[in-house]
Amino acid sequence: MKMTKIYEGAYQWIMFGRDENKPDNIIDTNQYVVRTANRCLLMEPGGTELFAPMLAAVLHHAPVEEITDLFASHQDPDIISSLGLWDQALPNAKLHAPAIWEGFLRHFGCESIEYVPIPDTGGVIRLDNVELKLIPAHYLHSSGNFHVYDPNAKILMSGDVGAALESPGAPVFVDNFEAHVEKMRYFHQRWMPSNQAKRNWIERVRELDIDIIAPQHGRMFRGDDVRRFLDWFEGLQVGTAV
Amino acid sequence: MLSVCIIEGSMVSSNVLSGLKMKKNQTKSQFVAVASIAAELSAVMDVAKEISLAAANAKAIAFRAGEKAKGFQPITDFINELAKDTIELVHAINAHALQLYQLTVDEYRMTEAFNKFELAGVLAKGATYESSLRPALLRAQQKMQECLRQFNSHIAQLLDQLGEVMHPARAARVIAANSRIEASQAGEYLQSLQAVAESVDNAAQVIHDNVQRCRSALSFITLTE
Ligand SMILES: [Fe+2]
Ligand SMILES: [Fe+2]
Repeated sequence: MKMTKIYEGAYQWIMFGRDENKPDNIIDTNQYVVRTANRCLLMEPGGTELFAPMLAAVLHHAPVEEITDLFASHQDPDIISSLGLWDQALPNAKLHAPAIWEGFLRHFGCESIEYVPIPDTGGVIRLDNVELKLIPAHYLHSSGNFHVYDPNAKILMSGDVGAALESPGAPVFVDNFEAHVEKMRYFHQRWMPSNQAKRNWIERVRELDIDIIAPQHGRMFRGDDVRRFLDWFEGLQVGTAV
Repeated sequence: MLSVCIIEGSMVSSNVLSGLKMKKNQTKSQFVAVASIAAELSAVMDVAKEISLAAANAKAIAFRAGEKAKGFQPITDFINELAKDTIELVHAINAHALQLYQLTVDEYRMTEAFNKFELAGVLAKGATYESSLRPALLRAQQKMQECLRQFNSHIAQLLDQLGEVMHPARAARVIAANSRIEASQAGEYLQSLQAVAESVDNAAQVIHDNVQRCRSALSFITLTE
């Protein structure tokens, strides 16, 4: 599992991905960790297949008992089907996930972990002195969906928005935006259902000060590529399967 | 008895691992066995309802036959009681089987978790916080063993209950034999009453066989720690 530090200050953001041992027939995912003095938030922890490599990778940064929080942007299996296993490993942790998915996500097994339902309007996650904002991103692509924004690190963890279908071992940052577009187009047109939701999200995200957009698949966008991505997404027709 | 020891270089001892492989297969057969019990029980329930119907039918015939079937009337009540007892018992067993299914699910999850923790331990070799995995691993192992203990005790109770279902079924066969004798004195009603006796006898046989199959499925999966 490749680990990349994407913010280093009084706390850290670490991106995990490009696991070499991942079976070929499951989609590659990026996981993100915010590590503060005493706590550790695991965003989009991933599928069952990824649980052991992910847990092992996190142990380079935090002991098990300091993995206190999980976040799932939505209910998809590539996001959170590992929940039942984390539930056994972390008896005192919290899962922050959309309120409307609670009854569904519990099918994965969530007995010890406390389910903290995020209302449709959003919320915050506090870790020691760090405050992370939960930004609504409904219908992008899931009907109950949130992104995590860190105003201090200026990172937006954007779930499936900005995702690309990449070849194994691809670099973690976009280096040629024009070339990258083709890896994103089908994903966004087919998985994102609503142009209205897309426009609304872009409007709100343009208000945020962002250095890095960190999606759950593919590569991260930094610097000018953040704006390039928002412009490209704005012009894209989505929901094209009907 | 499985035991975990965390020593440098390996998170679990090899007897835990071989024990685990055995457990994995057992969990598979547990699901199959518990599911087959549910199927057999629903068949028992159907047959018990048939007996109950046969009893009502016999009662009507005996009523029409009047004096000629006097000895048959209390027998029909008895058959009805037996059917009711069987249905009640099967209800209780069903509830138990459901608990057993939940335990099987729990145990499957625990075994799965234990396996993955063990793998994480191997993958985390050299990580700064490698040893912090130990409590989770021990907890998973304890829960796994607790599930196992509960599972076995439920199996034992279920076997007892299944034994109880055999009693009404056996009694029904005796009654069926008596019914035949009483039917022989019922003149023109002989044939219909004999048919009743016949169906009670068959039903009792079916229940007996189904319950027997449940019991052998169960004893097959009694687990060893
Ligand atoms: Fe998704
Ligand atoms: Fe995804």
